[in-house]
Amino acid sequence: MESSNDVALDIIITNVVAVFRTRCHLNLRTIALEGVNVIYKPEYGKVLMKPRITASIWSSGKIICTGATSEEEAKQGARRLARTLQKLGFKVRFADFKVVNVLAVCSMPFAIRLIDFTKNNRPIASYEPELHPAATYRIKTLKATVQVFSTGSLTVTGPNVQTVATAVEHIYPLLFECQKPLCK
Amino acid sequence: MSSRVCKNCGGTDIDVDQARGDAVCIGCGSVLEDNIIVSEVQFMETGGGGSSAVGQFVAGDASGKNPMFGEGFYTGVGRESRAQTLQNGRRQINTLGHQLQLNQHCLDTAFNFYKMAVGKHLTRGRRVPHVVAACLYLVCRTEGTPHMLLDLSDILQVNVYVLGRTFLVLAKELCINAPAIDPCLYIPRFAHLLEFGEKNHEVSMTALRLLQRMKRDWMHTGRRPSGLCGAALLVAARMHEFRRTIKEIISVVKVCEATLKKRLNEFEDTPTSKLTIDEFMRVDLDQECDPPSFIEGQRKKKLKLLEEELQKKIGDVQEEIHEYQDEIEMELEQCRPKLRGMYASYAKTDTQEEADDDDVSLPDWGEEEEEEEELKAVAQHINKDLVISGEEGDRGEQEKTPRQGPSLASLLGPMPTAASLGLPESISKCIGETNEDDEDTENGELDLSGIDDDEIELYLLNDREVKVKTQLWLKQNADYLKEQKEKEERIAKEKELGIYKEKKPKRPGSRKRAPIHANTADEAIEKMLEQKKISTKINYDILKELNNKPSTSPARQTAGSPNGATAGALRPTGPYRRPTPAPLSLGTPLSSLGKRLRPFISAQPAKKLALDQAAKPPLVAAAEQRDSVLVESGPVVYDEVGDEEEEDEDEPCVSAMQLLGGNEYGCDDDDGF
Repeated sequence: MESSNDVALDIIITNVVAVFRTRCHLNLRTIALEGVNVIYKPEYGKVLMKPRITASIWSSGKIICTGATSEEEAKQGARRLARTLQKLGFKVRFADFKVVNVLAVCSMPFAIRLIDFTKNNRPIASYEPELHPAATYRIKTLKATVQVFSTGSLTVTGPNVQTVATAVEHIYPLLFECQKPLCK
Repeated sequence: MSSRVCKNCGGTDIDVDQARGDAVCIGCGSVLEDNIIVSEVQFMETGGGGSSAVGQFVAGDASGKNPMFGEGFYTGVGRESRAQTLQNGRRQINTLGHQLQLNQHCLDTAFNFYKMAVGKHLTRGRRVPHVVAACLYLVCRTEGTPHMLLDLSDILQVNVYVLGRTFLVLAKELCINAPAIDPCLYIPRFAHLLEFGEKNHEVSMTALRLLQRMKRDWMHTGRRPSGLCGAALLVAARMHEFRRTIKEIISVVKVCEATLKKRLNEFEDTPTSKLTIDEFMRVDLDQECDPPSFIEGQRKKKLKLLEEELQKKIGDVQEEIHEYQDEIEMELEQCRPKLRGMYASYAKTDTQEEADDDDVSLPDWGEEEEEEEELKAVAQHINKDLVISGEEGDRGEQEKTPRQGPSLASLLGPMPTAASLGLPESISKCIGETNEDDEDTENGELDLSGIDDDEIELYLLNDREVKVKTQLWLKQNADYLKEQKEKEERIAKEKELGIYKEKKPKRPGSRKRAPIHANTADEAIEKMLEQKKISTKINYDILKELNNKPSTSPARQTAGSPNGATAGALRPTGPYRRPTPAPLSLGTPLSSLGKRLRPFISAQPAKKLALDQAAKPPLVAAAEQRDSVLVESGPVVYDEVGDEEEEDEDEPCVSAMQLLGGNEYGCDDDDGF
């Protein structure tokens, strides 16, 4: 997760979203009334809290887990959740587990001139201070989106951890061009 | 005309009369061309005495096709939908543009953007006002007019971010690189609204100068320009001795008070703010600042670091304390080893120990004085038994584990959720180590490795708790449940009355037809016909019958066309039929035809049948005599007639038309004959 230059960048993964299916229908009310840390709003799906991960459960058996900080943790949490559902008496299987989204933050050791950065990377980058303080840079090939803040902070979203790291590597030289050294 | 040469004499003197539309060679007099399409405008007088141009307006970008030719009286009727869309857009652009006080040039540019958007199909799935607003804003950006997206959203009453999204898509798709917003643009506009009177110019100049300074101090990146303008204007106004409150500024620049205050605070942090007014006007500091949010971040980081250090130091001290405490306890244990039961001894000596402990400053122990003494004894016992690691965290945890039992029990009665809140925290700490990486085969079976079942049991409530939670839940969602019940009742009632319409989402792809498997084309068609009926007008039974004897049909055809004699023999049916409707069509008006037809129809079949039957036998006989192949043709024809008559009986009206049609064919045949 180091960039090509001599500076080491720490990419901190803040959220991993994953989905899986249980291949059976779930009675949400049962889960809500028999589980400890469960919130059930009948109008919507349903939320079940676990240590570390939060899962949204639908009666169709599809489950979305959020809040993990690594892919392994997401999987572990998902499996634990499936086990809990098994204990509740559902014939739960564990299928189609997939990490769908990863959110990471990363901080550059310099400030960035957003206007120059947007100018240099015209069609891909867009900076609208009226709408959002960050410049948005979308890497189509990686399906990753990078939000560049003037302070040098980056927010990266991508389909998996690897793409996120690649995206940071990809964008680093571009940011390096538009850097503004901080005055100490 | 010099380019043209007469075909006959080779002369170049050719007279072209635009009005008549012909070209005549002057030399030999031959007409070289006539019916030239003229490019002249003609006018005609209208009924009211005015005159109008003949023809229709075709826009340059419209396609050549013009569907309405004869009745082009109503302008707009014959136009294409594209043109209509554009005109609609133009109208909206104009109204919106005038509200923003944009000049005509901007409006035209915006309309061009709109045209491009329509051409690229960017209007699809977006509301016209949104696209129009985005186009206008695009112009504002490219032309540098002092308009914000917020103004547009104000007029349209649409969320800014919705407009922003549309704008971004449009800018991207149309490849328009709008320059980044310069907050300086807005200063004159806001200054005007704040009514500085004569000093307007001076105030705005000061504000501009302030803004430039802020830009150099990195205050503008990632910030809304309006907020920055507000701060600059406020300071500038005060500098020129105008009383403008924050509220006044806010109402003009449309930002939140907190935002404005934050900007002011940030400006306060820059070195420029330390200058006097005079100095500020004269001196330009070379120095630049880091972005304020970055400084804020750094400060937070530093604070955190400090805190950590502090924590560490406290930890060290506490460690020391623990060591002492453990030593004391060791001593104490050695003092009273030969006593009877363990617990009893603890219960007795507890008071002394507690005093000791409190002296050694263990504050969290002091808090628990209300707790039962036995529990404490147990806790201490465990604490001591374990190897003395001296870590505070460990200690806290171990304290917690024995304490769980009673506290849970006491809490669960009134409020199980409270227990649930306390539980996961402690558990998650305990099972931190169980998180190991393990690969499970993706076969749908749940891999149980690394999952602690006991822990999971803790997430499930017992019967009593379930009951309590059910009650709570039912109470909480009483409204929803009631609604649901009412809905069900209503549906049931409607079902009873028979007016209930089930809402089934009809998907076009949901009813899939089984693919047709057939060996021959005939079979395939038959199967296809079974699946879907092509028309309700077709009598499918007869179609089947036709299909059943396909061998006869070619024979009939051969009988019909090549053999002149049989054709002649068959003919009589034509003339026989013909006279019946003929007088009808001649004498009667069309409207009464239907009524008059009916008696004919009812009378006709019998009559025709008789005629046909009379005609057929000799026909067949004649055919038999001539050609043996034709033997089959006779009955086939007969059958067909019979079929027709069946249809006649079924639907008199349709058959009448058929008869008429048949008659016409007969006529044609006769003509051809």
